[in-house]
Amino acid sequence: MTSNTKKITQSDLNKVFLRSCTLDSGWDYERQQHLNFCFTMIPVLRRLYGDDKEKMAAALQRHMEFMSCTPHIVTLLAGIVAAMEEENANSEEFDETSIPAVKTSLMGPMAGIGDSFFWGTLLTIAVGIGCSLSAQGSIAGPIVFFLIINVPGFLSRYYGLKYGYELGSKFFSDAKSQAIIANVTKAAGVLGLMVIGSMVASQVSIDLAVMVGSGDLAMPLSEYISWIMPCFLPLCTFILMYYLLGKNVKSTTILFCVIIISCLGCLVGIF
Amino acid sequence: MNNLLTQAILVTLVAFVGYMHSYVGSTMHNRPIVMGALVGLVLGDLKTGIIIGGTLELVFMGAVPIGASNPPDMVSGAVIGTAFVIVSDAEIGMAVTLAVPIASLVLLFDNFQMSVLLPWMSHIADKYAAQGDADGIDRVTRIASIGNKVVLSLVVGISFYLGVPMIETILAVIPEWITRGFDVAAGIIPALGFAMLAKMLVTKETVAFLLLGFLLTAYLGLPTFGVALGGLVVALILINNNNNNTVKEIDDDDF
Repeated sequence: MTSNTKKITQSDLNKVFLRSCTLDSGWDYERQQHLNFCFTMIPVLRRLYGDDKEKMAAALQRHMEFMSCTPHIVTLLAGIVAAMEEENANSEEFDETSIPAVKTSLMGPMAGIGDSFFWGTLLTIAVGIGCSLSAQGSIAGPIVFFLIINVPGFLSRYYGLKYGYELGSKFFSDAKSQAIIANVTKAAGVLGLMVIGSMVASQVSIDLAVMVGSGDLAMPLSEYISWIMPCFLPLCTFILMYYLLGKNVKSTTILFCVIIISCLGCLVGIF
Repeated sequence: MNNLLTQAILVTLVAFVGYMHSYVGSTMHNRPIVMGALVGLVLGDLKTGIIIGGTLELVFMGAVPIGASNPPDMVSGAVIGTAFVIVSDAEIGMAVTLAVPIASLVLLFDNFQMSVLLPWMSHIADKYAAQGDADGIDRVTRIASIGNKVVLSLVVGISFYLGVPMIETILAVIPEWITRGFDVAAGIIPALGFAMLAKMLVTKETVAFLLLGFLLTAYLGLPTFGVALGGLVVALILINNNNNNTVKEIDDDDF
């Protein structure tokens, strides 16, 4: 190897790690996370193209393109991109259009896995456990919530960058790492679903004020319904919501309908 | 009045800390469960803050930023809702009545930033990129990323300062069935959040586990934490089984 070989250092990667934390903070409707992704890659680009304005401009513009990924795992992509940029800086034959190509083709599937894991499964588990503690006024609620999100969050951010950079674009052609990701995602989904099921029973409450029968025998309708099955109304509501979402009814529409129905229900004495 | 000003400043700071979550690793401490506790802490009623935070968290459960969809701005909703209840000693349910409309209104404001101001900053960054000026992009990114949070937290602080006296007058004339209606809605809305999350996770093979979790709590009264630990066991078993299977498949290919 000649003395001109350019090599990304650990301190560059550390800077990428820190900068990756800002990924969602400059989000815009035009190109989403592009500004912060470019910002994330800058320490690497400075090392590789710092002495060449033209190559630097090309690289910066490459990373100012549309970007959308889950912030907690974006470092995996950043690592892969860093490895490719390094190759590009050291080899004349490297086709630099392959960098945005790989980036664009990976961010979609990665966001699919990452979003459902972090904003889906993990958030569900954290809310499920955190809220049951918070309901009693315990400070453990918010603290446990924070840890459940952030211990896995920062671990995946750290190891994502490490493996992304080491394996480069080979990461996703490696059958073993793909199988592990698929397995963990599926298993975590199962855990998340059990927690959602449990919370439908414990956190959704619908009390009907309607009474059935008369005089001393009068009983709230809710009690009759719970003889069919405990938490029957919450389950039905959940299924109805799920069905409506499946029919592409907007969640905000459902939200405001629930509020209106609740208020009207109070007015006529159903609730 | 001086007191209200101090409270407004504290509320602004809490909101800023919340908005900054996306600058320090998307730590989700902008969620109501944490925001409520922080507001409680600075306003001197931690316990109420925690309880309101937990209630609002369930209401905003389905509010997650995925792809190009942006959820209601829960920081403003949670912060103002919690602060109002603590400052005016109102019913906890009042926090929900306030939080939902406020969060929806502030999202409009945030949308303006994300569709006009931030793209404008990006176009400035584009010019620096064309010149190969990385320092310029660094500067623009930092200003844009932190700046939009400063703006939003000022909106929260000013709304709180100007709003509290007004909210008190308005709430005094709102009929009881509306405020109670919001209480009832707060019990039902979590179902919407759960449905949105379930939509993301459900497959044909795994839908049974949703029902299992429900039945464990509905019939056996198992708390959610217990169900989560049980779920962890199930998940570990699944991972083990699947790993063995894939290892076998890879071996089969080799020979």
